[in-house]
Amino acid sequence: MWRRLRPWWFPLGLLLLLELHLRSLAAGSDSLAPPIAALRAFAGAARDGSLWQATLFTLGAAASGLAVAAALAIPLGITLGLSPRASRLSALSIELLRPIPSVALIPLAMLVFGFGLRMETSVVAFASFWPMLILTRAAVSQVEPRLLEVSQVLALSPWQRGLKIVLPAIVPRLFVALRLGVAVSLVVAVTVEIAANPNGMGYAMMIAQQSLDPALMLAWLGWIGVVGYAINLAALMLQQRVARAMGAAE
Amino acid sequence: MALPAEQAALATSAAPAQPLLCFDGVGIHLGGREILSPTSFEVTRGEFVCIVGPSGCGKTTLLRAATGLVRCSAGQVRRHGRPVTQPSREVAFVFQDYGRALLPWRTVQGNVGLALEAAGVAAPKRPARIAAVLDKVGLGAHAHKFPAQLSGGMQQRVQIARCLAQQPELLMMDEPFGALDALTRHSLQDEVARLVQHEGLTVLFVTHDLEEAIYLGDRVIALQSNPGPGRPSLARTIEVPIPRPRDQLTTKEHSDFLRLRRELFAFIEQGH
Amino acid sequence: MKPARLSPLDALGSVAVTLALVALWWAASHGGWISRVFLPTPEATFASLREGLDGGELAQFAQATTWRMVEGWLLASLLGVALGALIGVSARARAYLQPTLEFVRPLPASALLPLAISIFGLSPNMVLAVVAFGAMWPVLLGTIHGFAAVEPRLLEVSRCLQLSRIDFILKIGLPNALPDILAGMRLSLTVALIVAVVGEMIASQPGLGQAILLAARAFRASELFAGIVLLGLIGLASNALLGLAEHKLLKWQSP
Repeated sequence: MWRRLRPWWFPLGLLLLLELHLRSLAAGSDSLAPPIAALRAFAGAARDGSLWQATLFTLGAAASGLAVAAALAIPLGITLGLSPRASRLSALSIELLRPIPSVALIPLAMLVFGFGLRMETSVVAFASFWPMLILTRAAVSQVEPRLLEVSQVLALSPWQRGLKIVLPAIVPRLFVALRLGVAVSLVVAVTVEIAANPNGMGYAMMIAQQSLDPALMLAWLGWIGVVGYAINLAALMLQQRVARAMGAAE
Repeated sequence: MALPAEQAALATSAAPAQPLLCFDGVGIHLGGREILSPTSFEVTRGEFVCIVGPSGCGKTTLLRAATGLVRCSAGQVRRHGRPVTQPSREVAFVFQDYGRALLPWRTVQGNVGLALEAAGVAAPKRPARIAAVLDKVGLGAHAHKFPAQLSGGMQQRVQIARCLAQQPELLMMDEPFGALDALTRHSLQDEVARLVQHEGLTVLFVTHDLEEAIYLGDRVIALQSNPGPGRPSLARTIEVPIPRPRDQLTTKEHSDFLRLRRELFAFIEQGH
Repeated sequence: MKPARLSPLDALGSVAVTLALVALWWAASHGGWISRVFLPTPEATFASLREGLDGGELAQFAQATTWRMVEGWLLASLLGVALGALIGVSARARAYLQPTLEFVRPLPASALLPLAISIFGLSPNMVLAVVAFGAMWPVLLGTIHGFAAVEPRLLEVSRCLQLSRIDFILKIGLPNALPDILAGMRLSLTVALIVAVVGEMIASQPGLGQAILLAARAFRASELFAGIVLLGLIGLASNALLGLAEHKLLKWQSP
């Protein structure tokens, strides 16, 4: 039983230290608050609905951005993966566009869409597009060549080959790409809210800091961490389940 | 009984005939199971002892216990009369999975050099010694290649070279040729036999290949699996009186070889 | 993933495709398919770029952002490797700390900005601190993984050769961890750039982040695009340099 609790010793110990130390500082500090005060602020936000509203916005923006990115990246990635020539021809363009940090597009998105959902979705879409494109392309180009030879020997039509061999072969890795996309989309969504967009969890945290409410700010920070962790974990479990169902080694 | 040159020399000198390695009632339990029942035998200097047996009979575990990588649950292994509790530079170990036992980021030269670095040999002295050892295993021309650039047989030779660089008195080999193709295996067998004779090494050689065991060894120890009361791990010891040097063609047609082969095969079959 | 080696013909074809995209951009902006308020013409962007670099402030801004990124990244790498090595070699340390580290891993580095502002106020050092802290995680986690995942056979070899503990860490642990460390450092560089830019935006620190934000607010699209191009170049150059260093250091992986 002691062993099971091992992961908790360090974080709980740290929180306890912070609680004791910060509580001893003058109450009403503008910059920091003890963990228990943060928990109370969290409960307050949960009760008055602001927690759910902001969380839903961020998750919604991240999800729609991811959906747009996936809708574009997966077909393009499959095309590039199937055609080494197309892959080579697009190489320079991809290598020039990919390094643009997604946050650099925040002002542009602001210019075009103003504030709100579309602005955030577009930046998230740009950010998630690239890793998903690269991974999908890799997934297709790494289909076991032996399987493709088998399809030739069995004289499968291109349609049959795509359906019976290529698609099932890439599904596990597609879910890996999706999982990465989920991680990126969430991080970028929160970042956009911190930088500019007056909606969502990131913005709520910024506002709390600006209103000198450190307890609420820390509550949001913790909540962002929890949500990120939970969603990443869910994506991981989904990916592993798919991999198992499709007999993939990972 | 034909003795290796070194052993004959020792017998005529005034040195005491103390066994180099002594297994005294060595028993090993792992994971709740008895892998090896108390086993006793001795290895004298210059001997080439082969250990054979089916999977799970504990032959690799026995080798590791003698090296100090694994602890005995019962009895002890003694080298020069002193109990073996941990590895020592005097005992070199050749692993079966050579790919994982070499440092992929160092060249052949660097890998062999690791043994010298560990022994504290001064840097200026190392290149000459490394070159000498690489020549012995025939890899002189490949000193600057990385393991990934070498074939399986060559990688195994690098490992052997590193072991020789330790200047050990005892060489432990754990199915060293098991992962190699038949042709490479035969040429490496001869190479090892030649090296061992030249360096005067004492060898403990674990293999599942019965012919290999008879071909290489002065003595073959056969272990059996699932030891228990009335069923000791050490089932049979066979002396191999075939003279050296041996070769792949004539030795394998030697009457003694064929007789021992039949005996050993029949014995192993019985045990199943 | 490294781009495949291209033949000269393919390289030309690749350039042609890129130029075609630029032509598309030209047509879209000139033809008014997208308003020039949002999409400046390529020439206007280029002119803004030249102006800004020649006499204007773009060069200084680019330098400020780059320096912020590099400084933070260096600090992060140093700390990350040192801590990572200590944690990585100890199975016990890993057991206690890894779950917490895994929890912090998905947290956006920029999320620490409000907390840092709270503690340090709006200052360049505040941004640097967050850049360093945020960029530390990929290196830290990569280093831990690299040191933790030593081939068990090599551990046994080191025991047989009787390698000292320091020798083991330097001759086996570190080279073994190097690919993971370098991969982590690559990711850290990306994070460093992002946090530097966001930090500049919200803390009004002079740099490309602030510059493009102001340009957008003033509807100066060509300046905005010029800034984006520069940021893309910074990302490209830093990644390429690191990739080169990685290739040199890890020559043994593809001899």
